[in-house]
Amino acid sequence: MTLAIEMKGMTKYFASTHVRANDQVDFSVESGEVHALVGENGAGKTTLMNILYGLIKPDSGEIFIDSQKVRIGHPDDAIKHGIGMVHQHFKLVASFTVAQNILLGMEPNQAGFLNEQKENELVDELAKKYNLPVDPTARIRDLPVGMQQRVEILKVLQRNAKILVLDEPTAVLTPQEVNELITVIRGLSRLGYTIIFITHKLIEVLLVADRVSVMRGGRMVGTEKVSETSIPELARMMVGREVLLRVKKKQIQRGEMVLEARNISVSDVNGLAAISHVSFQVYKGEIVAIAGVSGNGQTELVEAISGMNNLDGGEIIFRGRPINEASVGERRDLGMAHIPEDRMVVGLNLQTTLDENLIVSRYNHSAFSRYGFLLMKTISQFAEKVVNAFSISAARPGEGISMLSGGNLQKVVVGRELSGDPAFIIANQPTRGLDVGSIEFVHKTLIEERDKGAGVLLVSVELDEVMALSDRILVLYRGKIQGELDAATATEEQVGILMAGGALEDLKHPAKDNGQGYKRELKP
Amino acid sequence: MEGFFSVFTVELLNSGIRLATPILLAALGGAICNQAGVLNLALESKMLLGAFVGILAAYYLGNSYGGLLVAMAAGGLLGLLFAFLYHKYRVDLVILAIAFNLIIVELTVFVMRAMFGNVGSWSDPSIVRIPDIQIPLIKDIPFLGPILSGYNIIVYFSWLVTIVMFIVLYKMRGGRHLRAVGENKSAAETVGINAILLQTLALVISGALAALGGAFLSIGHLKLFTRNMSNGRGWIAIAAAMFGVNHPVGVFLASLFFGFADAFSVRVQNVTDLPPNLVKLLPNVATLLVLIIIALRSKIALSMARRRFRSQLRAEEAANPAD
Amino acid sequence: MNNQRFRKLLDAILVPLLAILSGLVVMGILILILKKPLFESYAVLFSKGFGCEAYGNCIFITTLERATPIILTGLSAVVAFRSGMFSIGQEGQYLLGAAAAAWLGYAIHLPPILHPLVLIIAGMLVGAGYGWIPGILKVKLGVNELLATIMLNSIAALIIEYLVQFPMRGDRSTTAHSPVIDESAQLMSFLPGSKWGVGFVIAVIAVIVIFIYLWRTKHGYEQRMAGQSRKFALYGGIHSDNAAIRAMLISGALAGLAGAIEVMGVHRRIMTGFSVGLGFDGLTSAILGQTHPIGVFIVAILFSGLKLGAQLGLQLNLEIPRELGGTIIGFIILFVAAGKLYEESIVRVRDWFTRKRGSNLKGEIP
Repeated sequence: MTLAIEMKGMTKYFASTHVRANDQVDFSVESGEVHALVGENGAGKTTLMNILYGLIKPDSGEIFIDSQKVRIGHPDDAIKHGIGMVHQHFKLVASFTVAQNILLGMEPNQAGFLNEQKENELVDELAKKYNLPVDPTARIRDLPVGMQQRVEILKVLQRNAKILVLDEPTAVLTPQEVNELITVIRGLSRLGYTIIFITHKLIEVLLVADRVSVMRGGRMVGTEKVSETSIPELARMMVGREVLLRVKKKQIQRGEMVLEARNISVSDVNGLAAISHVSFQVYKGEIVAIAGVSGNGQTELVEAISGMNNLDGGEIIFRGRPINEASVGERRDLGMAHIPEDRMVVGLNLQTTLDENLIVSRYNHSAFSRYGFLLMKTISQFAEKVVNAFSISAARPGEGISMLSGGNLQKVVVGRELSGDPAFIIANQPTRGLDVGSIEFVHKTLIEERDKGAGVLLVSVELDEVMALSDRILVLYRGKIQGELDAATATEEQVGILMAGGALEDLKHPAKDNGQGYKRELKP
Repeated sequence: MEGFFSVFTVELLNSGIRLATPILLAALGGAICNQAGVLNLALESKMLLGAFVGILAAYYLGNSYGGLLVAMAAGGLLGLLFAFLYHKYRVDLVILAIAFNLIIVELTVFVMRAMFGNVGSWSDPSIVRIPDIQIPLIKDIPFLGPILSGYNIIVYFSWLVTIVMFIVLYKMRGGRHLRAVGENKSAAETVGINAILLQTLALVISGALAALGGAFLSIGHLKLFTRNMSNGRGWIAIAAAMFGVNHPVGVFLASLFFGFADAFSVRVQNVTDLPPNLVKLLPNVATLLVLIIIALRSKIALSMARRRFRSQLRAEEAANPAD
Repeated sequence: MNNQRFRKLLDAILVPLLAILSGLVVMGILILILKKPLFESYAVLFSKGFGCEAYGNCIFITTLERATPIILTGLSAVVAFRSGMFSIGQEGQYLLGAAAAAWLGYAIHLPPILHPLVLIIAGMLVGAGYGWIPGILKVKLGVNELLATIMLNSIAALIIEYLVQFPMRGDRSTTAHSPVIDESAQLMSFLPGSKWGVGFVIAVIAVIVIFIYLWRTKHGYEQRMAGQSRKFALYGGIHSDNAAIRAMLISGALAGLAGAIEVMGVHRRIMTGFSVGLGFDGLTSAILGQTHPIGVFIVAILFSGLKLGAQLGLQLNLEIPRELGGTIIGFIILFVAAGKLYEESIVRVRDWFTRKRGSNLKGEIP
């Protein structure tokens, strides 16, 4: 079996974010196979493919194409070697037609003059050749997303790509469109094309790939033949952490209901369902975890509950009150706290001082402002109190916070959100990017709040965090609750299979294909 | 009201077309920059530079046509400098434009006064105004003849540029690439299009065109240079480009609108007591309305997706009532 | 001053300072090209802009008077920018405020103290209303405020032209003027022979008020957070849209105030050619003054002084065209905008300073 691509020892360190995106990664793809590259957000798979496509220069490592060593410094080099990439965010000109986009940069012309008829004919031929029917005269902005993706694929094929790299191709597709894409991929593979697709949706991997490579934390965890592995195993490879977390938890003392989501639905930016008819409750004194691979609606769910985005359907009842129309400020005043997933852009304003960051949710309270004026001294004292209570080293009232470490920044967020004894706390990926000490701090604090009687909604992609902290586990998949488990009795395998879109029953009959071919299809 | 209608004469049309010309030239430049994704607010400075350099060059060369060419070259160079500062140093486009506008307004008068003494404006009898051309055959067409014939070469050139720009932008490769850069820079760069080159080209061309528009004012019309003689026409050109939605034909019509409003206001003043300035308000208010309409369009598009989703939900709920 | 504050201050002044120095260098080059005396030019420029001749005869006073409207339009820009609205509509708001004051100055008759007060309030209200328009268009419809204010400026200029030539025309000479406003409406000046007076005091008060507003009040805090990080503001419960509209109202009021004061204290009426671009001067002062009220104050005085020094000194004494002043200001703006040019030198200066202070200004290693 010849190797279409072999990458050896790829390493890339991003100084600006202090992240080692790729750490001595070895990756190889056989000719004519469909190979899935799988991993969590931030695992390094996109970086690896960007290196392959010449968008990023690696710190070290070698690339071989058809066993020949190559240098890829620019996408033009990659294209020359027959690599074509379909990006997650399409590179299409919305007001241009299909034909104009496919032939962009390589239009047939006479002394610069375009020939639209010829362009349309060329595209018709191309579509016929690969059995990917499109209307060359349609405008991109009028097309559904699945069709736009098809244009991107044709664009790549037009440039004589032999190796196609698809970056999260199913992220924006409806289940029906995903099935169509899988058919297309199978078809291309039969024609001898090599296809790499990057994804974090494990079910789709099993439906179409020959082999799958899993990355985690910048490292290559392993490569398996799809026929010889299973979803739970892949899930564990993908999201497990090496450090075993031990958290002491008191017996649960559940109180009254603090948050109820009734049949809620939220659309994403494209008008598709991000959250679809979801219902659940959170009670005082418990930690409910929303587990799931990121991109399954967590962001929209948190935005709807916190008030940062509107609900499209259903109701949210908070402490007995319907809050659909309530603003963010009103929800906060009712006792809702929110630790956001992006502390640097959403949770904090790095351009201003510690004090101003700490009062954003309470500057209206009589303690901090009177007759419209801010009470600077009281604010400063409050800042002092928070710094001491949460041991935020290097932070001082009146000074900026842009130089603080990730862990300390999160402490500022946590300190602000938890002062005031909130009744309900949303913790969205609260330990992302933190060192072990800070992770322990956040976990300890959340447990403390739970023991004090607050209801905590923990949204996390880290399986161990979910298992260690929560009392109940709800798994979110494609905008729906895939299943609910009691944390005391749940196993990692159970959670893993739900996260990948499977059902608990599948655990009894593991999904080993044994080369029977791609029989299963996704249910819409 | 009789006096009011007496204004609508052939002279009015001629005057309107002439007054529209500098605006048209600068606006075409602005439009091509907008299409390339580079907001060019410095048209005023390029126009003024063209007016000054043009008449100076006409004087020193002894040839007005030479003056036009030198003016275009100067405008092109200024555009090149603009592009360089923008691409190399990431200078904010708006602040860059404000700085250029300020510098050129003052610098041109400074040089004029340094060279010719403490004068308010400068001219020289040796400078020949660009002559009007009567096109044989066309000038004899009834009705249209006097409207189409009798302008100087700059006016006809501006019409030519309009047509050429239309062809290049919509019928030629380079133009399509330019529009791709303006709409989705990364899409264009992914297929190997050199966005920086195209944007620089747009800035150079707009500089040359705006400068020609300015030279029209000095060599082609008033035969002198005075402080700030472009008098805000650069800003009107920006409005005309917006109003014409950056399409050559739209820009042509928009510039005519502004030009006619100008001509109309002058003539109305002589004939009636109607306030002329209010007439000039029309094109400006119209441009503001265009801005509002464009913004509304994208807002509506965004909310359409959401509304569709919600009605879908309601349909689902009607079919399966929740418990 | 603690280390972080000092460092922040240093960063803030360094680029503008270098820009000003570079501008003066360019001035020197131009003077040399004209074959004029170099050092004498600098000396004359500064003495005629900022100096005092004999006792009580300080040209600096005129500079302060000229700076008054620029300070106010500069503050107007600061308030708008800090809330995230890139509005350049100061010119239009200024003109309309002036028109309102000019009209009420002769159309109604009130006792002293009351009359000017009414004019000031009118100017501010009209300016605020004109500032509200681009604000609401941006917030409700998403109209680009930069383009909208460009158009609104043209519209305001045309309206003023019309008003001066027709309804408000006070005479039939070649340039149109409105009637002179009542004496009761005029602003007092402090020194005979100078127009420097109450207007400047109002400007200084405005600087202090805006500083307090932005950094010591709830609404100012909301505005700044909305301007610095929209997502953070939304997350924290701040209504960014309301904050932006409020900012445009205040911004418009300040520019309108500038216009009213200019009419009441200096010209006592409006005429064709009233608009000399003071709105833009305020804008540039805000940019150079790092969008800070105190920065605006200093820069506005600096710019006015440069222009005055060029007009009275360079032109009258050395026959150097006075436009040199405006040209240099333009170059200074250019240098500020191209701040990256100075990156290397700044890093070196900063290192020198921090080493001198002997402290570890770097934050902890993450």
